[in-house]
Parts: sequence; C-alpha cells; structure tokens
Amino acid sequence: MKVPYVNLPAQHAPIKEQLLNAVAKVIDHGRFILGPEVDEFEERFAKMCGVKYAVGVNSGTDALILSLHALGIGPGDEVITVPNSFVASAGCIAMTGAKPIFVDSQGDLNINPDLIEAAITPQTRAILPVHLSGRSCDMSPIMKIAKSRGLHVIEDCAQAVGAEYRGQQVGSFGSAGCFSLHPLKTLNACGDGGVLTTNDPQLYQSFKELRNIGLKNRDECVAWSNNSRLDTMQAAMLLVKMEHLHEWTEQRRSNALLYQRLLDGIPSIMVPSDHDYERSVYHTFVIQAQYRDELKSYLSEQEVSTAIHYPIPIHLQAAAQNLGYCVGSFPVTEKQASSILSLPIYPELTEEQIEYVAACIRNFYELRTGDGSPVLLSAETIR
Amino acid sequence: MEVPYSYLPRQFANLDPFLEDVRELAASGDFTLGKPVGEFEERFANLCGLPYAVGVGSGTDALILSLKMVGVGPGDEVITSPNTFVATVGAIAMTGATPVFVDNGDDYTIDASKIEAAITSKTKALLPVHLSGHPANMPAIMEIADRRGIKVVEDAAQAILASIDGQHVGSWGETACFSLHPLKNLNVWGDGGVIVTRSAEMNEKLRLFRNHGLGTRDEVLMWGHNSRLDSLQAVIANRLIDQTESITQTRIDNAAFYDNAFSDLGEYVVIPPRRSNIKQVYHTYVIRVSDRDSLHHHLMDKGIRAKVHYPIPLHLQEAARPLGYHEGDFPVCEEHCRTIISLPVHEHLTQEELDYTAGTLREFYTG
Repeated sequence: MKVPYVNLPAQHAPIKEQLLNAVAKVIDHGRFILGPEVDEFEERFAKMCGVKYAVGVNSGTDALILSLHALGIGPGDEVITVPNSFVASAGCIAMTGAKPIFVDSQGDLNINPDLIEAAITPQTRAILPVHLSGRSCDMSPIMKIAKSRGLHVIEDCAQAVGAEYRGQQVGSFGSAGCFSLHPLKTLNACGDGGVLTTNDPQLYQSFKELRNIGLKNRDECVAWSNNSRLDTMQAAMLLVKMEHLHEWTEQRRSNALLYQRLLDGIPSIMVPSDHDYERSVYHTFVIQAQYRDELKSYLSEQEVSTAIHYPIPIHLQAAAQNLGYCVGSFPVTEKQASSILSLPIYPELTEEQIEYVAACIRNFYELRTGDGSPVLLSAETIR
Repeated sequence: MEVPYSYLPRQFANLDPFLEDVRELAASGDFTLGKPVGEFEERFANLCGLPYAVGVGSGTDALILSLKMVGVGPGDEVITSPNTFVATVGAIAMTGATPVFVDNGDDYTIDASKIEAAITSKTKALLPVHLSGHPANMPAIMEIADRRGIKVVEDAAQAILASIDGQHVGSWGETACFSLHPLKNLNVWGDGGVIVTRSAEMNEKLRLFRNHGLGTRDEVLMWGHNSRLDSLQAVIANRLIDQTESITQTRIDNAAFYDNAFSDLGEYVVIPPRRSNIKQVYHTYVIRVSDRDSLHHHLMDKGIRAKVHYPIPLHLQEAARPLGYHEGDFPVCEEHCRTIISLPVHEHLTQEELDYTAGTLREFYTG
C-alpha cells in the first residue's frame, strides 16, 4: 500500500471549485494588494486564536522578523530559542542583526523551561519558544521567567495553529504570535504566507505599518521597513480553507490517536501524546525511534514515506559556525536528531493507511534482532 | 467619461485561460519554488538579455536581498535619490545601512554629476532608480562606481525593458531589481519580484539567501530570508511575459501621443527631456505642470484618475527624521514634488480616453 508523506492534491480536490471561485472574485475586484479578503481573514484568524488582532504577512519567517523589528530588537541584542526547529526560527533573529542563543529541548521536542534562566545575559531581549510539531511549549514557566526578567516573548507558532495550552491558544501568550501559512502547514495557502497575532494595540499598529513599507497611508512613511503582505489571493483561498480547519484538525488528532493505540507497547519507540496541559494539533507526528535510519529505509521499501524534522540541529549548521557551539552543546536535541521520524498524519489519510504504517513499524521491530545487527527484511516478509 | 488609472479589470476580462493554468497548478500541489518559477526565471532572464534571474517575494525584497548580498550592512552608506517609492530607502535601512540622498535631474532620475560629492569612506553601494521607466544615467554612474570601487544595484522596479543605446537596464549593476506588483508593466496577482544578474556566483548566493540559506532540504549554509516568488504568481507571469514587448510599445505610443498633444502648452506643461538614445518604458507618464493641485482636482472631477508619484520626497518623510535632512536640501526633487502629475498611460486606454484626457488638461489651462 502506498502512503505518501504529503498529499496536497487530495486536500484540494474537494474544494477546488470553491478555491477558483474565490480567486476569480479577487480578480473581479482587482484589489490584489491588501484587499478586503485580507481584512476578513485577519478578523477571523484573530477570533479563532482568541486574540484581539491579527496581521497577514508574506511568510512565517517574515512574521518572526517583523515582530523582532517591531520590538526594536537588532544588532547587539540576543534572543533565546531552540536548536531543534526549522532554520527560520534562528534565521529570523540573524536577519535582524541580533544573535540567536540556543537552549536545549526536552522530551516533547520543545524548549526546556528549566534551562532558560542560565542562558539569559544582559543582552537578552526576548525568548522565542517554538511550538514544534503542533504542540504547545510549557508556557507558564516561560511567561514567568520572561516577566521576572523583563523579556519579550515571541511565540513561533508556525506549526501550531489552534494548539492549546491549558485551554488557551498559542499565539495569545507572548507579545506576538507568528504563524506560517506555507502550503505544508495545517492551515495552508497555495504559496508563502504568514500571520501575526497580538493583543497589544500599539504593536498591532506597528505590524500594519511595518508589513507595508512603513506607510501610514498612500504617501506618508513613518518608519523604514520592508514589504511583507499576505496576498489578497491567498487570503481569499485561506478563507475557504478556514471553514474546514476544525474538521481537518480533528482528523489529525484522531489519526494521532489511532497511531498511539496501534503503536502502543513497542519498547523501541516513543510515540507523542498530549501532556495534560495541552491540546496538540499534530502538524507533524514525530516518533522517536531506535534504529531510526533503518526503520526509515524499511518503511520506504514498504512504500511508506516519512520525513525527519530536522536531521541537523541548527547549532551544527554551517550558518551557525560563528555562534561558537559544537557537538555536545545540546545533548537532548542532538540525541533526538538521530531518533526522530515524522509519520504521515494529514487529514486525508485513511484508517487502512494508518493501520498499514503501524503494522510495518511493528513488524520492523519484531523482526529486527536485538543485538544491534541490521535485520534483513523484504517486502514479502511483512505481507 | 471615467478614465481609470488601474487597468486590471480590462487586463483580466477573459479569465479562463489563467484559471486553467491555476487549476493545473493546484492539481500538482507544486506551490513553492516549483516548475513555473524556474520557467519564469529563464524567460525573464532572456527578456533582459542576461544569464540569470531569481524570483523573489517582491521588488522590495529584491532590493534587500541584493544589497545584503553585495555586502551592505550596518555602518555602511548607500546613495540613492529622494524622489522614489519609499521601498528603495526602506530596503537600504533594512540592511542596517544609512541611506544618503543625492538630488535628481530633470528626467526624475539621480543627477550623476552630484554623486561624487556624496561619497564618503563608508559608501558601499549606489542604488540608482530608473524612475517612471526612465533609465538613470548608467554610463556616468558606472564610471564613478568603478573608479571609486563602489558596487551598484539598479532599482529597476518600474523599468522592465528600458534601455540606453540598446543596452537594457539590469545589465550595468551587480544586480537589478524588478517588481511584478499588480500595477507594473509585467504584473502578477499579488506581490512578486525578480532579480537579474550577470554573475553566476551572485545567482547562487541569491538563490540560497531567498530560501533560508538552505543548500539542500536539511543543510543551512548561511542565515537567510524567506522570499520566494510564489509558483502561483509565476504561472500568471508566464502567461503575460510574452506580452511585455507589446505592452511597452503601447505605453510608448500613448506617451508620444500626450507629448505631441501638449507640445504647444509649454507655458503650463514641462515635458521631461526625450533623448533619442533612451528607451523609456513609461511605467508612469509624469509631466510637470503649473497649478498642479488644481489641475489634479479638475482631472479627478472629470473622471480622470491622475496620480502623483510621489508627493512627499523621501528625505522629508517622518521615517527619515533621524537622517537629519531638511526642506531645501534637494531643491530639484522638492520642486518636482510640487509640480509633477502622472496621467493614465497604460496599455488598455482607448484613443477616446487619451483624447479626453489630453483635451481635459488643455481645457483646464486654455479654457
């Protein structure tokens, strides 16, 4: 049975005509830049997240860069984040001229709040926790540290639209929440897109100006900035998709539940499940597996596509050389980098596909000898 | 009669072929740096007669990425003119560098004879703007840049296919930055931009830098931005790119019509110099007129959607306050800001609309 890792055409097939109609409507009114659909999307997104304001921008990365700019963070400043994230979490800090400072992660792949204090210096301006894989960070201790040390919190919610922490949605805790609408996100545009959330009216005003070249109106420029607007076209399609988001998220959660049940009791793997304080949206379903690389190839032989998010921790990337980290700097992240494996989790997966994936994993470990020698398996063995 | 400034409803009156392409893209799911982007880049490079083109998120991003990749950063200075769209200057500031202004000439582009006086030991780059689709004086600018060892990035946002002595804009600087904004001569359905360059090395660097510095899916070679031309927008651009030459020619013809129609109004209307070796592509048709604001109101009252590009010079914007400029610093630019007006010049204007526009302006002055 073939199980692709992503299947966007399957998501779009049932809503294709609605999407095209939404596009046609935009062309009819011709307001391609910051048109009415952007306003409507922002209003609905804010409401959905339980925040006062949302501002559509060009990408999740730009959402992070703009929030750092708006908070006046730049050269000479430090921002604390994690080394196990998509590169943009650290790249955005570097793009402002500030320095990314890493703190190790914990079992749920998110920042370990206990390690934050030790990373704070007089240059620290903000903490940038990443709600990786659609799971909320442990926000209470993070907010407590930020408050006591006078730091901003910028939430990287790129993978976590709708995720909750103690009943409150991510993106509503910090000064700003930064979401991605990239085609592979749970709420996805048909191209790059992002959105900022905040409860602060002043920041909201800044975001609106900064995403539009600092323009207060057509002719007056109050701050130098870049151009980072969510396309009206993308907003129009996102409005169509938003109607389905709840149902899609529920489907992801029920897919996760099925995996949890089917993979229960395999000693060689750790399967993610919600902490009591969170409600995950499972952007990715990341297991931690012994013999990960072998498992990945085996699954691939069985036509099950998987992914690794992310195989190289950011502190060990060539781009990070100047930051002075080395192998061993973040043992938890480094260990996870060699054991994490993302299984297909998208809403369009069938129950049969999930059962098949789980059966393949179970078979792999049942057949793999425990003495460390690679197991010889063939597709026939499992069928 | 209503003479619209925006031509989008006319341009996309027949939507079906576009939607067919979009439908195909949706079926493929190839939304990020997909095949249509590669195709567009190749065709755009060909159009400019240059080896490389890199699709990015916007014309503004094209400038930011270019400046950063030629090595501009905090502590540096970049020279440009104060009569441009704010993005030119915003882009400089986004690199951490300081914008330094030089007044413009009567063709609305930077006055090359004044550049040398503005160069300091911190000057890292010159950023000439081909405003209104009129190329800046690139031979003179390059002479200065080469002699002083300063890089040049061309702001060609408004100037696709403009040329001097047959040489296209984009072929002088380290890079040139184009916008594909919906109101540009080659336009897409949202924000988009493209950078052209002659340098294979610059091409590689820009490709990394627009995509998080990712050398492969997993390897980060440098910190970077996320600024990619959407596949969806590339699909639209691919459908329109073949029309660029004819769009440009129609704009040139429309401009020639106005020039001719106003040739005897010298007392009220100043037409900028039309030099025979220069191909100006008329992203905007900008003349200087007496009693500008009254004329503007009059035209608007008559349904003619004239505009002003731009009423406030950059050095007098609130954002520029820390730079320390004052009114009077750039007299040519400031005078222009008080007298310029942009008449509709787009390729979808009818002869009737052109006649009406020219006639209404004439009537305003000659009663």
